[in-house]
Amino acid sequence: MPQWIDACATSDVEPEEVIRFDHGTQTFAIFRSPDDQFYCTAGLCTHEKVHLADGLVMDHEIECPKHSGAFDYRTGEAIRAPVCVNLKTFTTKVENGRIHIEI
Amino acid sequence: MDDLQFGKRNKRGDWAPDATLEAAPLWVRPLNMAKILRWLVGYVWPWNAFHMAITLAYWYLVVPDVATLKTMDWAWALRLYAVNAAAILLFYGAFEYRLYLRRGQGTRFKYNGRFPADNASDVFWFKSQNIDNFLRSFFVSIPLWTVVEVLFLWCFANGYVPSLGWNDHPVYLAALLLLAPAIHEAHFFCIHRLIHTPLLYKWIHSIHHNSVNPTPWSSLSMHPVEGFLYHAVALWHLVIPSNPLVALFQVNMAGFGALNGHIGFDTVETTEGQGFASHAYAHYLHHKHFEVNYGGDQLIPLDIWFGTWHDGSPEGEARMQARFAKKRERMNAI
Repeated sequence: MPQWIDACATSDVEPEEVIRFDHGTQTFAIFRSPDDQFYCTAGLCTHEKVHLADGLVMDHEIECPKHSGAFDYRTGEAIRAPVCVNLKTFTTKVENGRIHIEI
Repeated sequence: MDDLQFGKRNKRGDWAPDATLEAAPLWVRPLNMAKILRWLVGYVWPWNAFHMAITLAYWYLVVPDVATLKTMDWAWALRLYAVNAAAILLFYGAFEYRLYLRRGQGTRFKYNGRFPADNASDVFWFKSQNIDNFLRSFFVSIPLWTVVEVLFLWCFANGYVPSLGWNDHPVYLAALLLLAPAIHEAHFFCIHRLIHTPLLYKWIHSIHHNSVNPTPWSSLSMHPVEGFLYHAVALWHLVIPSNPLVALFQVNMAGFGALNGHIGFDTVETTEGQGFASHAYAHYLHHKHFEVNYGGDQLIPLDIWFGTWHDGSPEGEARMQARFAKKRERMNAI
């Protein structure tokens, strides 16, 4: 049964930035795009399991800090080697200045 | 120099040349003699001329006489290692010092806008790309380079393989010297393609690829298996009729020439308005994209023949993306 989790305040994430959010045993990456939309993906790179929140966000792309593989954080699609396996994405909504993710 | 006259810098600060990479004009039909002559000058000068000068210096000043070489001995082997290490410290170190420590030309002509020293990463020993790459070069790859060198010098000295004389075979040996870069490229493509197979990549070659933003110290930062295979190019001269001087040129081209692909700058500025080409772009694209340009500058166009060539153009990018999309589809279907 999906549930909505209150992850953080919208002000916690700057435009073209990413933060890490841990919940239970899961870790997530929460992004704010240049057009002020919020997105959430699995927090670890599908290549070598490092935290994407330490990576570089540019436009709609997150670059892994380890090997510079890249994903489109809106869709989770792997867009640059060495990553090939797509990231899992999670639906987000904003209520009263808080970002909620559906897990 | 204004690097924006020769290329573009993206939002991330990465610079890319406007000119696309081209295979050696020997492979382009119809043959263009003017272009071939210009290419031949660049083939010899400055890099291969430098490798030859270094080789002659080794031959006359460093390599022991035949009587000494006949016996495997730690003394001359360690002396060779010391010279190799000192020479690389000076040669690579000069580029590292000027371009990365002093940052003498800033990010002009720099492919990746960032400097590795600015970002600690736990992928490297001591979280430092420089320290990791330096240690692997001097304590893994250069010793293995020396092992290869000792091996072929000892074999030639003992007559285990024939050594052709310069007086008897000057034309053949001169041709072999000129072909040494082609031997290097073919050997490098084959071993490189081999260690990009999934299992060998994971256990061996991923170490070298940790440096996605390479610097001179990244050149020889390798797993021991790769370090040996890479320098073993000189052992082909135990198979084909050759001469120890040519084999020495071959191994020096591997050891000193590894710098070219890893300088990280397209042009190394010498004065206000002048510089020389690094020939680094093809291999930089390999470090950036992983699955293109397994060979070098396409002296032997193996990447073109096998469909893995990225010349830096939008078309090259599209070809790579099409291959990547197929792989991604396959991986995500599992």
